[in-house]
Amino acid sequence: MKITFAVLVLVAVLIVVFGSPVASEVPVKSHQYGSPEPILPMNFAHLDHVSENCVLCHHNYTDDTGGGLCMNCHVTDQDVWPLLENQFHDLCRDCHAEKAAAGVDGGPPRECMACHLGDDLP
Amino acid sequence: MKALLATFAGVFLMTFLATPTMGAGWFWDVGNGLGFAAFAGLLYLTITSGRRLDIRAHQVLGYGVLAIAAVHVFWFMLGDGAVVYFMKLGAPDYMWHGIVSFLLLGFLITVALVPDRFLVHRNYPSFKYWHRVVAIITIGTATYHIVVSDFYLDAWYQGLLFALLAMAVAFGRSYWIRLGQLPLARTATYLAVSLVFAVAFSAIRNIPA
Repeated sequence: MKITFAVLVLVAVLIVVFGSPVASEVPVKSHQYGSPEPILPMNFAHLDHVSENCVLCHHNYTDDTGGGLCMNCHVTDQDVWPLLENQFHDLCRDCHAEKAAAGVDGGPPRECMACHLGDDLP
Repeated sequence: MKALLATFAGVFLMTFLATPTMGAGWFWDVGNGLGFAAFAGLLYLTITSGRRLDIRAHQVLGYGVLAIAAVHVFWFMLGDGAVVYFMKLGAPDYMWHGIVSFLLLGFLITVALVPDRFLVHRNYPSFKYWHRVVAIITIGTATYHIVVSDFYLDAWYQGLLFALLAMAVAFGRSYWIRLGQLPLARTATYLAVSLVFAVAFSAIRNIPA
């Protein structure tokens, strides 16, 4: 039993280090949007979000915290950058989950790959 | 069998209290259904650990619980190419609690077997004491992993009830003993019940009304 368990743990470590050998797509971390460290790609299409209030995401339109695109601050500002993962997961995933709870098709609530493959959508 | 079904029902029903039809797709929900089945198995192993425990049956059922937990882990690691990034340094603490609970479950089982048990414990009372302590820590870390990952137990009262259920099982041994020695389900039965509950859990969340 201990050998079986040790093999399981070893295989898990190898998958963490080298990635899944069977997943159809595997995202690769890289320096994106001027990030100081490699980050996962993200996809986002404005066209999928036109029914949302702009300031739900673009808080800077009303709170005077700067201008430009999300990534202008969220990966380049030294104070905000460490919060990138938590802030975007909370904003995107929680909103999708709230819609799923309400029975509305509102984007992927949990699947990692549904958001972490990059795109070039506007 | 009744105790096994009651344990599974208790664990799974809590996920349906607030948002019963909220799902994240078949792949995600089946994988997490198996995770809940592993947790139910862990609680069942604890509830049935009375004074006249059939140690061999307890041991073999433990293999079944570890197998379901392993399927839960590898299901996501192999099926979603981005999940491994949530298992590295910097991953959220609830993921680390899940990893620790899986490792502790494996440790609980392997170190309980002779002759390795003699390398760690000098006598049987010492083994029993530490086996219980590590089992409680395993339940605690698994509970944290489930509750704080905050999807199926999104409402505050769901998290609270789930934590209370885990605590009642982990610290209610004096009560479980008074129930007498509950018969232990066979491992094949546990595996079949796990599969049925995981599929039903996903179906309810993914089949349109």
